[in-house]
Amino acid sequence: MSKIIRINTKERTFNYSEPDEEFAGLGGRAFTSRMILKEVPATCHPLGKHNKLVFAPGLLAGTGAANSGRLSAGAKSPLTEGIKESNAGGLAAQKIARMGIKAIVLEDKPEDDKWFNIVIKKDSVEIIPAGDLKGKGTNETISKLWEKYGKTGVICVGQAGEQLMISASMQLADPNGRPGRAFGRGGLGAVLGSKNIKAIIIDDAGSKRVDIADKDAFTAANKIWSKALTDHPVSGEGLPAFGTAVLVNIINEAGAFPTKNFREGRFEHAHDISGEKLSETITERKGVVSEGCHPGCVIKCSQVYNDKDGNYLTSGFEYETIWAFGANTMIKDLDDIAVLDKLSDEYGLDTIEMGVTIGIAMEAGVVPWGDGKKAIELLEEVGKGSALGKIIGNGAAFTGKAYGIDRVPVVKRQSLPAYDPRATKGVGVTYATSPQGADHTAGYAVAPNILSVGGSEDPLKKGNNVEVSRNLQIATAAIDAAGLCLFVAFPVLDHENGVQLIVDLLNAQLGASLTTDDVVALGTQILKDEIEFNKLAGFTKKDDKLPEMFDDSFEPHNVKWGYTEQELSKTLDFK
Amino acid sequence: MPEILFNAFSFLQKKLKANGFDHSNVTIDVPENHSVIDLIKSMDLDPDGIEAVFVNGKAGDFEYIIKDKDRIALIPPGTPGPHRLLLGIRPGDPIK
Ligand code: SF4
Repeated sequence: MSKIIRINTKERTFNYSEPDEEFAGLGGRAFTSRMILKEVPATCHPLGKHNKLVFAPGLLAGTGAANSGRLSAGAKSPLTEGIKESNAGGLAAQKIARMGIKAIVLEDKPEDDKWFNIVIKKDSVEIIPAGDLKGKGTNETISKLWEKYGKTGVICVGQAGEQLMISASMQLADPNGRPGRAFGRGGLGAVLGSKNIKAIIIDDAGSKRVDIADKDAFTAANKIWSKALTDHPVSGEGLPAFGTAVLVNIINEAGAFPTKNFREGRFEHAHDISGEKLSETITERKGVVSEGCHPGCVIKCSQVYNDKDGNYLTSGFEYETIWAFGANTMIKDLDDIAVLDKLSDEYGLDTIEMGVTIGIAMEAGVVPWGDGKKAIELLEEVGKGSALGKIIGNGAAFTGKAYGIDRVPVVKRQSLPAYDPRATKGVGVTYATSPQGADHTAGYAVAPNILSVGGSEDPLKKGNNVEVSRNLQIATAAIDAAGLCLFVAFPVLDHENGVQLIVDLLNAQLGASLTTDDVVALGTQILKDEIEFNKLAGFTKKDDKLPEMFDDSFEPHNVKWGYTEQELSKTLDFK
Repeated sequence: MPEILFNAFSFLQKKLKANGFDHSNVTIDVPENHSVIDLIKSMDLDPDGIEAVFVNGKAGDFEYIIKDKDRIALIPPGTPGPHRLLLGIRPGDPIK
């Protein structure tokens, strides 16, 4: 992987360059965050000409390593106004890597209102008019592009990104040509929209697999790696059978399932929206219980959900989405939740942000709590581009301001996901301190002893949760840089050589001699870059906190948040 | 006899159904001085197929003696790892 493609969206020109030494060894989130820090003025307007949108496959992308097909996208976020890295599956990462492309960088901004597509092939880049795709949803966009270009990687925006809404996602084609995968968080769809780009088409025809320095060592390491993933009860059985929604019942039982805009920790109807129920419904309606979001995924946590008549409704239905549109809004009908997921994918919207935003609209009395049909009508306003739709599409913080609501669960203007911070304090520390804004995946991966975390933590008490959060954030950043799906963290935690297995793959691929310490150092460096950008953008320690609604006591465990600014400031206090 | 609210999740639901037991939000009576492990055995479940028990919403002990009005839930292996640590289900195993 050696070339960088820079595309000037104002002039509609491009050039190839070689990465300099600073960037040569970086991939995924390590690459995007470093480039945003170095090249984007931190105080720029995120939708202005100085912001850049950077796509970088992880270091292992394009190899045969199991679960290595993840792509990072980075920019200054229009939602948080800080740095953003968002990570997604789909077909694009492997194809980009196979063409020897280290990164695609979109720069500048057009002065006219013409919309274009970018077509990237092995030896060419074309910037061509988007034609009648403008105004279309992502489903139709991907279908039309597949008709024209075949089974290519597609990254595109829907109506939300076109309208520069700050909750807009970029959707990616999954292996069935559906917009089931997303760069969800942080409004990166609005950044692509601000550059008047409807879609990026990645056609790797004629490319080979990426070069591997030591093929035998790589094959041997990948064999052990794949086996570690498929042998583990989570990645080998739990996720394929129930998807991530297996967590609905468990987090609910733990009393940490935020219900009615984070008022309490258990939802009366959790069973109706659980992973078990989801799996049963999918089977009854002849959907697909388990499929991968990219070729080479051996875990396959994604699925195809059909409607009552057995017709395709949505795919990639995740725990966080089911929570956001379910317990958080008190909607208990899985079909209504599936329609809300489908509309979010279609318009190109972050499902977590939209679920929390609908909760705010319910606080304001715009729609009644628990009314799925009315919630669907509300989300349809975003597609129509009505004034109400523009409020909703700009997310929870904006909607809270519009309606004078003081109960708005956001950190750095990004909505909190599906784990109440009072009852899972380790996750709460990550929400408060991650440079990404409230984000559960920022502290998802666990590699305890490598990072010197011992013992389990009481989720209800402060204990060592600051240290746990720090180490999880470091490990996650490193996994994002490798380009691995985060769910590999489950077996990596339990396998006696988990992290070493990843290091072995990297060493065989790159001909390097990295150690697990290097991986920790890489994760730490990513966080340092991101914190530095946010500091330059004007963020201070005062921004690393949860809103005051979390000072209230939380049932059933009757716990409060309770962290001070000083306690939290130790989390990512790297020297 | 203590009366409890019982749940079992994930793969355990199918197993319980096959053994003739309900699994979701069931109220059941258990004998005095019954531990969690006794409860598991009384439902013909293999204790090795259960990774954790939640007692009143907190990761608990298999030796715990069940009390009246307890809320008990069983979880098989397969709960995503970070959550096991963050929910206190089990310690982070050493990675060598
Ligand atoms: S486990 Fe799920 S998210 Fe990860 S690569 Fe496979 S399908 Fe995609």
